Amino acid sequence: MKSIVLCTENIEKRFGGVIALKDGSIEIRPGEVLALVGSNGSGKSTLTKVITGVLSSDGGTITYHDKPVSYSNPMAAQRAGIMAVYQELSLIPSLTVAQNIWLANEPKTRFGSIDSKTMNAETAKLLTLFEGTFQPSLHPEAYVRDLPLDERQIVEILKAYSRKPEVLILDEATASLDSKQVNCLFDLIQLLKSEDKGLVFVSHRMDEIFRIADRAVILRNGKTVGEVLIADSNEDEIVHLMVGSNVGLTRELGGRMTFSAQESVLIVEDLENEQLNGVSFNIKQGELVGIGGLRGQGQSSLLHTLFGNSHYTGKITLFDETLSFDHPKEAIEHGVALIPGDRATEGLLLLRSIFENFHLPNWAKYCRPLLKMKSAHSDAEEMGKQLNLIMESLDAPVSSLSGGNAQKVVIGKWLLREPKLLLLDDPTKGVDVGTKSEFYKLLVKLQENGTTILFYSSDEQELLDLCERVLVMQDGKVKADLSGDNLTEANLVFHSMGATNNNNHHEESTHA
Amino acid sequence: MPEQNKSKIALWWRNLNVKHSLGLSLILLVLTTVLYFALQPNLFKSGTVSHLLTSNFRTWLPVILVTVGQAIVILGGGLDLSNGAIVSVGNVILALTVTTVDEPGKNILMVLVVIAFGIAAGFLNGFFTAYLGLQPVIITFASSFVYSGLALLLLPSPGGNIPREYTTFYRSTQFLGIPLALIVIVLIALIWTFFRRRKYGQFLFAVGGNDKAAYTTGVPVTWVKISTYVISGFLASLAAISYTLLTGSGLSSSGDDMTLASVTGAVLGGISMSGGAGSVLGAIFGGIVLGNIRNIISTLKLNSWWRTLVNALLIVLVLAGPGLINLLRRKKK
Repeated sequence: MKSIVLCTENIEKRFGGVIALKDGSIEIRPGEVLALVGSNGSGKSTLTKVITGVLSSDGGTITYHDKPVSYSNPMAAQRAGIMAVYQELSLIPSLTVAQNIWLANEPKTRFGSIDSKTMNAETAKLLTLFEGTFQPSLHPEAYVRDLPLDERQIVEILKAYSRKPEVLILDEATASLDSKQVNCLFDLIQLLKSEDKGLVFVSHRMDEIFRIADRAVILRNGKTVGEVLIADSNEDEIVHLMVGSNVGLTRELGGRMTFSAQESVLIVEDLENEQLNGVSFNIKQGELVGIGGLRGQGQSSLLHTLFGNSHYTGKITLFDETLSFDHPKEAIEHGVALIPGDRATEGLLLLRSIFENFHLPNWAKYCRPLLKMKSAHSDAEEMGKQLNLIMESLDAPVSSLSGGNAQKVVIGKWLLREPKLLLLDDPTKGVDVGTKSEFYKLLVKLQENGTTILFYSSDEQELLDLCERVLVMQDGKVKADLSGDNLTEANLVFHSMGATNNNNHHEESTHA
Repeated sequence: MPEQNKSKIALWWRNLNVKHSLGLSLILLVLTTVLYFALQPNLFKSGTVSHLLTSNFRTWLPVILVTVGQAIVILGGGLDLSNGAIVSVGNVILALTVTTVDEPGKNILMVLVVIAFGIAAGFLNGFFTAYLGLQPVIITFASSFVYSGLALLLLPSPGGNIPREYTTFYRSTQFLGIPLALIVIVLIALIWTFFRRRKYGQFLFAVGGNDKAAYTTGVPVTWVKISTYVISGFLASLAAISYTLLTGSGLSSSGDDMTLASVTGAVLGGISMSGGAGSVLGAIFGGIVLGNIRNIISTLKLNSWWRTLVNALLIVLVLAGPGLINLLRRKKK
């Protein structure tokens, strides 16, 4: 076994009350590619950020070259030779490609000023590593703001590479690259491997992990749960480790409704915009359909598009009516409600009272011609009871509520309008378990009353517990439509990761 | 051949705009200068032009200095609404203490005190905004009241008397026929060019462009931000010195209209209010444009409130310009 260049033991990180990382332990060896694997929110990005000094840890140790280290900022980590390519790019749009690559690492002339000539020449040399995979508009003096996402990613990779790191962490570096560009990146990784550098490769794509990595560490719920040698492993083993003990358990079907006989109330055909690449599906009356997949695959965009919040091409049919919403107002008038993911910025007026928040979209109902405050009050009280809202009084500000109760207010304000189609955009993020289960009960009750629900969640377990059907999205497309026996956690993770050679799980994919 | 020439000029112009954002400020500089000269009745009499140059630059110097300071703060992603008040304090201190040429040592000390005050005031602004992460607009607006309150406390009613020797020195010193004020401006431009090409310049643009990305890349973001306020405070103290030498007396509200002027000048000079784009040379041009506008208004014998009105209208127009153009484009579609 090779020596270890960097190892982390039991790293912990909390954000407020939320624990992002409980026990992050990895060993990075020189001349080896370590894949860091895990589903949404398993703590991969958090762990890489702790190593590079972007975040400070709340516990655990990092050992680098046999010495315990702790970097309080990225500068210190970089000086020690630890670099990362970040998922959310660390580029400055208003600077040129060369200026970005050499920022804080500029070549100097004899007189101490920045040597732009050398900088541009060196950048041109670096760009040859990706030769033929980008437009001629990408050159050393081009401004980063003018570049498309894949070329920005290339610049970000070259920026890290130019600093000659001892340890290079690639966090989702391939997400926006095409296959040719990925090949170039892999050549570069092989080159670094041959130079005995330590490499960490964070990816959601199974095929890439099997192509490039030597070992894989699997994280689940912020904990390191396993380590495998890629040569001795297979996709199934990794998926098993990712989903844990409840792999293969199909959901109990008792009590689930069947919808085959009913008519589709929402038909979506070939929906396209910046984030969506041709989404098609249909939903029947009273169905509770989940949307799964990795974060940022177009799920939120799909919901916002259905709510009239962004432009699109394609066709949406709702209740036998072809729609073209220009504004959420029209969607609301058609009985559509969207419960946003970020309740603090998109859903609530935090300083105003619960009562006001409840009725924000509903005042028209009480206005004839003067506001009927009494009936508004009794309706709000009724809703509070229905939601089991724990509050001081209706007049208390929303900011006095706990996260879960605040989320109930967001839901309540739309329920008061009695929506026919309810869109939920990852509504239980950062909500405690007790509130979650109340929330689930509420959704089931709504469904029983005939509300059609489309529910995006980044929590796989939640989708499995609640939904009859789950659409798995990847790259702005519906990758798989899982229902009945096919709806298992293993299948869900499998399709999210874009894995293909699935032998053990029965599946049907609506999209190749 | 002319074809080639044309494309060269086009390229140069494009570069000027994209790299240094100087296009707008140059056009305005030429336009206002031509207009101003056209309004001069004695333009073709000998000596008029050179007289205009010397008298104007010494009048404009204070505003140009605060504009350059403001430009650097805005480039770094902040805003300094207290620079005018720092000018007032410096002006009041000098007017109260520099009363005779017989104590050159004390006078130099007081100049240093003014500079130290500017730097300290700038550091305080920077500490609160960059280190503690508070809103620049609110912090510097609030601190401006602290500073102007201090100025009023020191000198409740206009007064003070700077020895004539000093004001004459400021008015008539020339070097190779170039007036002192213009030399200071050229020096500032040179120092800027020097630093622009160094690490500091690169860091300043990076921080203004995207401070989070700059931080993850290893740029000392907090210090760069604090430094911009310190530079602005320092330049405000220089503005106070030149203003005092220009007027020869003290006034607790002397810097009041310089704050808005500095923002207008920076914006006219092509500095992007969101930070990270522009050039200090542009800000100098912007300051000169403001001076031209001031002169045009006084040549036309308009009320002085026109100046504030025009300043404010310019800032709104220049800021809203890109948005309005976008709006029109979208409407056409």
